[in-house]
Amino acid sequence: MRKRYSLPLISLHWLTVILIITAYVLATMLEDMTLSPQKLKLYAWHKWVGISVLFLLPLRLLLRFVDRFDHRYELSPFEIKASASVHGMLYLLLIAVPLLGWLHSSAAGFSVVWFGLVSLPDLVGKDKALAEIFKELHAGSVNLLLALVVLHAAAALYHHYFQRDGVLVRMIPWLRKKS
Amino acid sequence: MKRYGLLVLAFLALPALAQEWKVDYGKSQIAFVIKQMNVPVEGGFGRYNVKAVFDPAKPELGFFRVELDIASINTGSEEGDGEAKRPAWFDTARFPKATFVSKAIKKDAAGRFTVTGDFTLKGRTRPLLAPVILTPQRGGGWLVSGRTALKRSQFDIGGGEWADPSVVADDLEARFKILLTP
Repeated sequence: MRKRYSLPLISLHWLTVILIITAYVLATMLEDMTLSPQKLKLYAWHKWVGISVLFLLPLRLLLRFVDRFDHRYELSPFEIKASASVHGMLYLLLIAVPLLGWLHSSAAGFSVVWFGLVSLPDLVGKDKALAEIFKELHAGSVNLLLALVVLHAAAALYHHYFQRDGVLVRMIPWLRKKS
Repeated sequence: MKRYGLLVLAFLALPALAQEWKVDYGKSQIAFVIKQMNVPVEGGFGRYNVKAVFDPAKPELGFFRVELDIASINTGSEEGDGEAKRPAWFDTARFPKATFVSKAIKKDAAGRFTVTGDFTLKGRTRPLLAPVILTPQRGGGWLVSGRTALKRSQFDIGGGEWADPSVVADDLEARFKILLTP
């Protein structure tokens, strides 16, 4: 039996991690910046990176569906339930966070042009009050996403260092099970 | 000789005889679209003054003067509004107004004209040409609408660190619709 997820699935997982961290760091930098060309550039990159997370998700879900690796392997019934619900919420937030950012952008009157090339449609018309609401929801949902990411990573590390099973190994090509 | 003099006088007085139209500012708009990081962002001016004198039978003999109150600029964001008034952009402290004064109106087709004139912005005067559509309104008014391309660099708008056109484009489009009422 295969011990790891397929390489494309592993790549997309870690790419998503990198994109989320990048988008988060950019957002944190933007908070303290006054208007400047640099700020407009970083703002654009924040949006491009976030939208990339959104656009990669269907591909990830498809690959996971196609991949024959049995997710439940080595897991207890409780762990199967817990991981399924955390994964479900993670997927949901990987859609919700960028989508709320996109909604905020649309409502604020600044459309998203992905990487300066692909014009995304405005999801709502320009509306200042609505923009504020989406901004709050975007920020709130990202905190929830980060909390779940921490939980997800902690569980993986727990499996690797304490249960010494192959759960973390599935997602890291060069890693071996602790003996 | 005296007769000729009167004729010349009458001719000179002709434009003055043409009607000066009132402007319904509530239904008028002077806006612009400029790309920021390749995203078209709409802005506009909240306060401006339009003087429109023309005879509907001969609009090409008319005269338009538009004065923009630069401080009333709306750039699409509060941050942008503040920045736009600074010296690197419009420098509203030194140049509070921009004006367009028409010099010629050429008829292109029925209801379509090309208005040429001088546009003065931030102390720089450049010729400006705008295709304009005159649409008759119920009640005898006119809707004057059109759009024209401008370059911000021609008026030294957004210099220094802002000069990079890949962040804020050099090209922008001005859009206007002015509702004239008798």
